[in-house]
Amino acid sequence: MPSHSASWLASTARALLLASCGLFLGGCASVYVDTATRDIPAADIQPPAAPAPARFTFEFQTQGAPNAQATQLLAAQVRAQVAASGLFQELRDTAGDGGWLQVTLNNVPITKDAAQQGFVTGLTFGLAGSAVTDGYICTVSYLPPAGGAAVVASARHAIHTTLGNASAPAEAVKAQNMEDAVRTMVHQVLAHALRDLSREPRFQQP
Amino acid sequence: MRAPAPGSLSTHCATRLFALAGVLLTTGCAQITMGPPQPTVENTQALRGSPLAPAQVGVFTLEAGKPAAMDRSHALRGANSVQSPIQGSFAQYLRESLVVELDAAGLLRPDAQTVITGTLLHSAVDPAMGTGTASLQARFVVTRSGQPRYAKELGARAEWESSFMAAVAVPLAAAHYKGLYRQLVGQLVSDPDFRRALAP
Repeated sequence: MPSHSASWLASTARALLLASCGLFLGGCASVYVDTATRDIPAADIQPPAAPAPARFTFEFQTQGAPNAQATQLLAAQVRAQVAASGLFQELRDTAGDGGWLQVTLNNVPITKDAAQQGFVTGLTFGLAGSAVTDGYICTVSYLPPAGGAAVVASARHAIHTTLGNASAPAEAVKAQNMEDAVRTMVHQVLAHALRDLSREPRFQQP
Repeated sequence: MRAPAPGSLSTHCATRLFALAGVLLTTGCAQITMGPPQPTVENTQALRGSPLAPAQVGVFTLEAGKPAAMDRSHALRGANSVQSPIQGSFAQYLRESLVVELDAAGLLRPDAQTVITGTLLHSAVDPAMGTGTASLQARFVVTRSGQPRYAKELGARAEWESSFMAAVAVPLAAAHYKGLYRQLVGQLVSDPDFRRALAP
């Protein structure tokens, strides 16, 4: 059987499992936020000496495709966190003087070893059976007002979901529900990306 | 766009986030209107890569002889569909996608002598069980003071793992289809011939 067909059958079986367990209703799924990417002290993010205003845009993507519903769900949280970072004097919705910060959060399939791909520090638990892992890549791109190439920084994170009596992953923190897990993941992965952006010399002195 | 990969698990998160957003499609029928086009840092960076003259965006239409339905709506598994928020026309959505990119790069000027027009040649999306596909093709023409400077057909295509569950597959297909417009405009603004046509 071709590998893709096998993959799809496996995916379909999982989807049936999720549906039959009533995942939408939160009946029997447990959600865990990986601990490889943790909260960082606010002081780790280094604002420039003279923060400038910037245009701000955010987009959640699923496999690289724009996901309007998830974008709407998370936009306010992401904007508030960027504003609180102190990296910018002001965030604007439209073009104008100043640079442009684009934040993207891409939900990507983890097809191989999650650790090998940089989403987790180690093998938290296998992907076989009734456990699944979702990977997230947060990319912050800052286009300086003076032109030139964008300054880019990124970070990775993961959320694990188990069904039924599956054992909990070793290196992850259980969340109350999926929304709680997603919001925690967003806060942590965005903090790492903003920290790395703030350490870029071209960001500090555009 | 990402090709489907063995063992992909991404549909699970899509399921949950779409569920969080209240897009469950449990009634079996949904009309999805795409969000308005948004500029990207990548395309703005490409437009700023070398000096370009400002341009205006002229008329965008559906290719003559093509079925009008191709410009209005695409069915997604039965009664579900995806539509354009710009005059209910995918050709106008493509036009607006270019407008926002030029505007973000400071290159949009309504009275410019350089005019970019477009013709939608092909548009399709299919969230088939197993592998979903979407494709978009358009012809772009650039004139300056009425003289042709550029004419080329460009195409974009996406392929992804598509769930058997409509609640997952339909919104994901609409998202991939929307992404093609950004991708197609990205091809245009990165095309060296297009950049030469817009050179001052």
